[in-house]
Amino acid sequence: MTTTSLFTPSRRRVLQGMGAGLATAALPGHVWGQAAPLKIGFQLHRTGIGAAYGRWYERTTTAAAAAINAAGGIAGRQVEILYEDDATDPKRGAEVVEKLAGPSGCDLIMGTLFSHVVMGAAPRAGELKIPYLVCSEGYHVASGALNRWVLQPGITDVRAQISTMAPWVASTLGKKVTMVFPDYAFGHDHRDFFTTAIAAQGGEVIAQIAIPPTETSFTRYFPQIPAETEVLYHVMVGPAVLTFVKELGEFYGTGAKPALFGFIDSLEAVDTASPGLEFLEGSHFWEGHCRAKPADAGEAETAYRAAVGVDDNGASVSDAKDVSTYAHMFSCWETLYFIKQAVEASGYAGPADRQKLVEAMEAVTDLPEGAERPQGPMRFDGKKHQAFGVQNISKMEGGKLVRVHQTTIEEGLYDNDTDYTAMSF
Amino acid sequence: MTAGNAKFFKEFWQGFSKILACGALAVLLPSVALACALPPSVILILPTGHYIAAAALTVALTAVLAALSGRMPQMQAHTLWETRRILPEALTSYLAFLIFLGLVLTGFLGPRDPMHNLMTLVFWTGVWIAVPLASAVFGNLWRWINPWTGPVRVARLLLGRRGGIGLSRLGHWPAIGFYLCFIWFQMISLSPDDPAVLAQAALVYWLAIFALAVAEGEDWLQKGEFLTVLFGFVSRIAPFWVETEGARSRQRAGWPGAQVLRMPPLDLSAMVFIALALAALTFEGLSETFFWQGLIGQNPLEPVGRSAVVWQNSAGLLATFALTLAALWAGMRLGARLSGGAFRADRVMLSFLAIASGYHAAHYLVMLLTAGQYTLAALNDPFFTGDSWLGLPPFYVSFGFLTDARVMPLLYGTQFAVILGAHLLAVVLSFRLAGPVRALAHLPLTVLMVGYTVLGLWLLSTARVG
Repeated sequence: MTTTSLFTPSRRRVLQGMGAGLATAALPGHVWGQAAPLKIGFQLHRTGIGAAYGRWYERTTTAAAAAINAAGGIAGRQVEILYEDDATDPKRGAEVVEKLAGPSGCDLIMGTLFSHVVMGAAPRAGELKIPYLVCSEGYHVASGALNRWVLQPGITDVRAQISTMAPWVASTLGKKVTMVFPDYAFGHDHRDFFTTAIAAQGGEVIAQIAIPPTETSFTRYFPQIPAETEVLYHVMVGPAVLTFVKELGEFYGTGAKPALFGFIDSLEAVDTASPGLEFLEGSHFWEGHCRAKPADAGEAETAYRAAVGVDDNGASVSDAKDVSTYAHMFSCWETLYFIKQAVEASGYAGPADRQKLVEAMEAVTDLPEGAERPQGPMRFDGKKHQAFGVQNISKMEGGKLVRVHQTTIEEGLYDNDTDYTAMSF
Repeated sequence: MTAGNAKFFKEFWQGFSKILACGALAVLLPSVALACALPPSVILILPTGHYIAAAALTVALTAVLAALSGRMPQMQAHTLWETRRILPEALTSYLAFLIFLGLVLTGFLGPRDPMHNLMTLVFWTGVWIAVPLASAVFGNLWRWINPWTGPVRVARLLLGRRGGIGLSRLGHWPAIGFYLCFIWFQMISLSPDDPAVLAQAALVYWLAIFALAVAEGEDWLQKGEFLTVLFGFVSRIAPFWVETEGARSRQRAGWPGAQVLRMPPLDLSAMVFIALALAALTFEGLSETFFWQGLIGQNPLEPVGRSAVVWQNSAGLLATFALTLAALWAGMRLGARLSGGAFRADRVMLSFLAIASGYHAAHYLVMLLTAGQYTLAALNDPFFTGDSWLGLPPFYVSFGFLTDARVMPLLYGTQFAVILGAHLLAVVLSFRLAGPVRALAHLPLTVLMVGYTVLGLWLLSTARVG
């Protein structure tokens, strides 16, 4: 494998990745001397706890904007992305929404990831009546907790993600499941949705081990894992993940162990071939988008990787160790193309048409796979304001995640009472 | 941004960035080339407890050996060469002032993304991290780029102003006040990285200091302006430094600390300033730990953000400052009591400069290696149009080293060595500076330094947010 250092990446590869117009997306519209650009505000987690995601969300969005602009823009208008840092803070998030909607003159806003920031900023978007498209995967949108102006068209929500794992886990790995999860909202979503979903498959969660978020050593929790456990479902996140894996390996040693199933959120932006993760060999993970390029990947997948500057292992083309947040960042790409579709369908001309734009978004249903959606096909539910897509299950083989199963969209669909179209603007 | 001011801005930048780049590149490149870093995830599985214990033992044994042998390094300084002064400080300061104005303009008019705006990048990685780091090796670089000296001299000349208004009588207390405000802005306020917010704060501060220095005289900057005071103190640890006398300039060299031994005793306000520097660095490290997050009721895996913890962190900062002051005061008093009266607290406090400098370097190393890349990228290609004004090939900002298990221990080792080295130097300096006192009198401060070694290394190795 050829690697390049920070200051000696191949100029050609970097330029390919960036695309000729990479950052022209960030330049004022007068550069083109054509119609005024469509201004899209991006609420970026540039600093704070979400910064690792923010870096890749920016890179993906910039690449998508460049690709769209190179192909003629949106409704003949070039796209201009205005990045504004919210410091992964809900109060700042609301201020950023005000700034992007007001002085910056954006047509709409996108990009927020962390749920607590979405919850803090989305109400302000509703008050200012500006479309607010989140890339969060939280259940907050589909749950009906937000408002008419908030949509999540680029990534499946966590309820659907988790639920779709149950059929495969029950049929392939086992029916007696012990869950180990961090004891806060993220872990509780997994606990609640998976427990229900596995029961529907005739399985059972036989133990739920909640780990306090401040914990950095886990050995004392492992004896709580029942001996009859067939599947150990783990979703630990944070800096102590390596410690968790190491101590779990020490606990089981070379003896018999349950099948391990996890969510890649634990190892997002971490090289799965890192020393210390050997114990995960042979275990399975959910992946929203497969970081290691599947053997049967199509042109869209290849083009997407080239545009963002990501290699076949999901790492930056300029640094094989710089692993991207691949399982989530496609949401930025696909959200931007969703915007394109809705703007062009609605005849959106300016802020006065924002309501019309949201209605056009709500009318979207099928989102086929293609250059716009390299992660796979999606279906948009206008009532829930939520997209539903295929999910992947990958197996760790030789330190690399290899896709072994893909769920259908239908497996992730669920009923609830949410109907944003019945809400007023 | 309108078409007119965008064009002006671009043209302005093409000149400005090149000037800025030369200096910044020289400062940043050597560090970035080290390209390794410290994610807590990997450090958490290292036996850091053993390392910390070994470091504490080393510091303690050094003190014991110093007490038993009574022989300490002489730390002589040597002159490497002597030349005529080439550039007067007033001129370089004036140029720095122009660059500062350019940065402020960039903060107001440039990209809103802090990692694409040179106001944010140059200040937080250049001025706040790289300048003190380089000053701790090559002497006081701030004196050349202090953006007040030149303008204040010119203003006083033009106004025909001589003498002052008595500000100097306040000692370092004004600097302590400004430093406290700055620390609050940096660690607790909601948007210190926001280019416009930072530009506004910097401009207001510059104007305030300018007005005071014009009234009092440029020498007051050495006491009243906190960056000048802080960087001046940090540079006293440097093994290389420049001394000027009239039109002559001498390049000096000596062991780290050689300058410290030749410093005059500190007044109370200067001692408090050094305590504040220690407290600020300590609290900055502490506030990121899982320990602190748990203490203030935050979930470290998904902290709400700064807005939710303004009061808690403000109280934490003040408490850390108070504890630091109390610990130092108690150590000094006890040392004085055990010595029978000859203990020179006003000189011993100078030894803590080594600790503050070492911890500053270790603490900010990772930030320099990450945000420093954005700085380089922005200087190289300010408009993201594929330009290469520094001659660097296009590159993606890359944090792969943050998860590289092979280089991570190297970085931790570097931080470990810096912290340990700083504390060993502090022990040696405290023995040299305390005066002719009996060995037992050193015990309280030695205990304090061992404690600080443990604390500093623990802060760098425990689970942290972000």
